[in-house]
Amino acid sequence: MTISTGEQAPVEKARVGLGRPLRVALLYGRDDASRREVARVALAAAAEPSAVVPTDDPRSFGELAQALRDALPDAVLVRPEPKGVAAMAELLEALRLGCLLQRPAPRIFAIADARVADQLRPAAAGLPFEVSSDVAELVVALRAFRRGADQDLTLRDELIEDAARSLAASTRGDALVIDVSESSTSCVLARAEELEAAHIVPLGLGAAADHVVARAGLDRVRRWLPRPVDAPALLERVFNRALWPGALPATESALALEMALAREAIAHALRDAEYAGLDVAAMRASPAVLVTGRAASFPRPAQTLLVAVDGLEPTALTTVFREPDDGRAERIALVLSISPRRSAIVRLTHAGGRAEHRVARGAFMLVPISGDVDVSVKGARVKGIAHAGALGVLIDARGRPLVLPNRDAERIPAVSRWHATLRALPSMGVA
Amino acid sequence: MTWRHARWSADHPLPIGVVERTAVGQAVNAGDVIAAGMALGTAIRLKGARRLGLQTADMERELRVPVGGEVSAGTLLARTGRRFPRTLTAPIDGRLLHLTADGDVYVAPIVGRWIVRSTLDGAVTRSDDAGVTVEGEAWCIEAAAAYGPDAIGELTLGVNAPMEDLAPSRLDVRLGGRIMIGGARVSAEVLTRAHACGVSGLVAGGAPVAGLRVVYGESLTASGHAGREDRPTVICLIAFGGAALPDAIFGPLAALAGSRAAIHTASARLFVFAPADAGVFATDELDLALAPDYASVRALVAETVNGEVTFPSEVRAGAVRQGDLVVPSANVRAFHAKR
Repeated sequence: MTISTGEQAPVEKARVGLGRPLRVALLYGRDDASRREVARVALAAAAEPSAVVPTDDPRSFGELAQALRDALPDAVLVRPEPKGVAAMAELLEALRLGCLLQRPAPRIFAIADARVADQLRPAAAGLPFEVSSDVAELVVALRAFRRGADQDLTLRDELIEDAARSLAASTRGDALVIDVSESSTSCVLARAEELEAAHIVPLGLGAAADHVVARAGLDRVRRWLPRPVDAPALLERVFNRALWPGALPATESALALEMALAREAIAHALRDAEYAGLDVAAMRASPAVLVTGRAASFPRPAQTLLVAVDGLEPTALTTVFREPDDGRAERIALVLSISPRRSAIVRLTHAGGRAEHRVARGAFMLVPISGDVDVSVKGARVKGIAHAGALGVLIDARGRPLVLPNRDAERIPAVSRWHATLRALPSMGVA
Repeated sequence: MTWRHARWSADHPLPIGVVERTAVGQAVNAGDVIAAGMALGTAIRLKGARRLGLQTADMERELRVPVGGEVSAGTLLARTGRRFPRTLTAPIDGRLLHLTADGDVYVAPIVGRWIVRSTLDGAVTRSDDAGVTVEGEAWCIEAAAAYGPDAIGELTLGVNAPMEDLAPSRLDVRLGGRIMIGGARVSAEVLTRAHACGVSGLVAGGAPVAGLRVVYGESLTASGHAGREDRPTVICLIAFGGAALPDAIFGPLAALAGSRAAIHTASARLFVFAPADAGVFATDELDLALAPDYASVRALVAETVNGEVTFPSEVRAGAVRQGDLVVPSANVRAFHAKR
């Protein structure tokens, strides 16, 4: 035990938030590299893309100018491809026509070398124009915009990134932090020397619940509910929830809805990350996953576990932790994800003995053991030793990508069975 | 607080193609045209400075038609040289839309015309090609969300009681140009019928989201949608679905019926133009409670604080009770609290 003998330091309360909403317009070249680069900056800076315009956009000059005016961007990220400077200059002309009179005027950040920037600058005359080829520098500038005059504000996304770095350092491996809050969803992968971050705003299980439905579609949310509910009623619940930031789910159905929204928010965040060229495969294979925010504040740890496993679809041996905003971190479970052709034999060796489980394809089972567990799968490369956490070892053989049956009559019993396996809802028994 | 008589400001963003707009300081009434312009089609880019052998900086000076001006096919846009002149002419009827930094010009055909009307009685405080802002005094209630273009018309009662839903059969063409008070709920059928009958806008406690998605599109969100398209206008005062209007809201609505009114969708506000002493309306706080399963919203009349309660979801939190309804205190908020 280490006891500090230093002077007692006063505890300073930090204010954490998302800061001012930041709307960005993304203007990029025809190649995938420039699209990925601007998307990556927007995701890292927790900016909301209000207009996405490639240089080969089929809309006319006037339509583009109108779309950019309607988008009301606070900032514009510009990434031309080497041979597309003229086309990018035309987009900037459309931006000038649309947004020159906007107050405050949108700030243009060009990701380009000085020569290309000098070619583009006249087309954006009258609008603030900054140049940088360093993506990290751009992210810092955009975050400074979100802070505004409130320089003491700790941005939630920075805090999540710190948590990912700390977890990676303590577990000495890759670590993923998933944060689902009222109005934002983040997936941050910390590796030895780099960080891949996707912060999606607005997208969450509360005030931005409507954006989950608008982006992913209602059916993708509804498919996670263990009981039938008609679409119009579900829509009204989601939209009413969006009007009430901070509301609490008092019934089981409201709790199940928030869990469904959280799953789909995570899945959608990963899709956005993939679009931006982030290493989603590494996120899914991360050996340590920490869930934070509202998704970590569900009454039962099993609820957080189910949301994380369904939303992330991990592909390896994963230790899942959770840390609510106003609580302590806890290790929930060890998740073993396998995709056997027919069945596989899973060996679990722990302090209490050794057990073998024949796992059929599609199985989803919880082995309630505790302490360090040596896991191996016969015929597969999965092998490792990890702590089982509070719930035990969850063996997920549902396959990847996780496919849910389309028909309610098949899907609802399956989803209900998965909930029951973890006793994820109060009506399914005591936790 | 629900209704307030105060000084309000309403922004009216303008599309590209402004031809005329009211000047700062000018007095306007709700419904007056404050800007007019042209809807433009696909623009054609014409080589300007390079063709005329000019420096790009000189191009604007050499233009014979100002940027934004209307042109006919063959109109001389710019000309240089005396003995061997080089000219730039408009290839189509339309508008000189834009002059680029390298001296080229865009000419766009005119495909339609648009107007923007004021949603407030008052004076213009800002006016440029991006928007016109009007400030003025009115009775106002700030709603949960509004959809569609701004609407102006006479406020007309469509229901007899705040619990009632507006029936489609109550709408006909005689109500054209009015803003109808629709009670607890307006269905998608009412929305589309009202639009077909020329009803200017609808005011209700709530509207079903499924119906709104049919009318306004699948990408609809709870924060509303202000558009310029030819669609119905609806303002949801309390929530989505059905929400009975409490007396503090319905009473003044009924009392103000017959007055001119306007719906400003971008700010989700209903303005009613009546004297400040038009009625003595309750200005007490009105609390709304989101149902424990999020299915509905209702007004809390006499609430009692219950202390901490463990709910069926196992969430333990402070609770508020009204009759048989027990909700987490986090699900209760003042009507005027911003989202």
